[in-house]
Amino acid sequence: MNEHRPDMIELSAYFDGELDPVRQQGVAAHLAACPACAAQLDLLRMLAADFERLPAATLGFDLAGVIEGRLAAAPRPQPRRDRSWRGLLPVSAGAAASVACGIAMGFALFGGAATPRIAAMSVFDTMPPGSLCIGLESCYTNGAKR
Amino acid sequence: MECMISRTDDAEAELVVRAQAGDHRAFALLVGRYQDPVFRFVLRMSGIRDEAMDLTQDTFLKAYRALPAWRPEARFRTWLFQIAHNATLDVLRRRQRVEFVPYDEDAQDAAAPEARDPAPTPEQALADRQRIGMLERALRELPAEQREVLLLREVEDMSYAEIAATLGIGEGTVKSRLARARVAALAHYRGHAGENSDE
Repeated sequence: MNEHRPDMIELSAYFDGELDPVRQQGVAAHLAACPACAAQLDLLRMLAADFERLPAATLGFDLAGVIEGRLAAAPRPQPRRDRSWRGLLPVSAGAAASVACGIAMGFALFGGAATPRIAAMSVFDTMPPGSLCIGLESCYTNGAKR
Repeated sequence: MECMISRTDDAEAELVVRAQAGDHRAFALLVGRYQDPVFRFVLRMSGIRDEAMDLTQDTFLKAYRALPAWRPEARFRTWLFQIAHNATLDVLRRRQRVEFVPYDEDAQDAAAPEARDPAPTPEQALADRQRIGMLERALRELPAEQREVLLLREVEDMSYAEIAATLGIGEGTVKSRLARARVAALAHYRGHAGENSDE
């Protein structure tokens, strides 16, 4: 008997022909020698046969006619808008132009031209206007001695 | 065989393309082809005939609205069942009735003779009837996720790949879920057979 006994998952897939060809053959060989597994497979066959005997429920009227009537009154579905880069090209170009414009304007205002000195900042300069030192008295006394 | 399926698919794809272009007649042909398979699937899932009729109609209307999104790589049947499956689950969730409610059993019985052999012996007819009854009961008692995978395989004859695409799960999950569903159905069989023999 084949060493590898198939579990129910494998047996079920074998029954549906959904195993790879090598394993399908392996399971077939095992089934030929294993009455217990063969009995399991018979149960799967029985279940499938019973499904075939289930009453086939039908809608009982022509839905196509009903749908066709409703569709005639409904608007036609619109195809999806093109989402590819080609579709977005005009938008992207506009956005890029806006950004470039902004950068150019900013550069014209603050870059390139000399930055104006703000007079108010000189209030905090260590040297007072007119270069008069209002610091130590020795600044002046030293000069006087010479 | 594969060639035949491919030709059928091609013809169907052509119908879908025509429907996409606004040809209502082409869409009506698709409805005619799939109205009963979709109906029997949603009926077994929802359990209520009126609700299943509404769901079937909704499925086709949703499909029509979604037609521009359909691509020839997808099989129309798989795509349609995906819509039916989602619509059914929405209804079941919304009404919080994931439990199966039995539908009109008389209607089933009335339809049953068509599915049987032309001239079964009385004993055979009785045995068939009992087994079908057991399967019906087993199906009603299975969880929705096992029931749907069984129906798509055993009734609609879908491949694992198609079932996976329809339910939005992996093929491995289809394989294991289907095996579990079969084991569960067979266990119900045995249980009901035991009840019947006790009666």
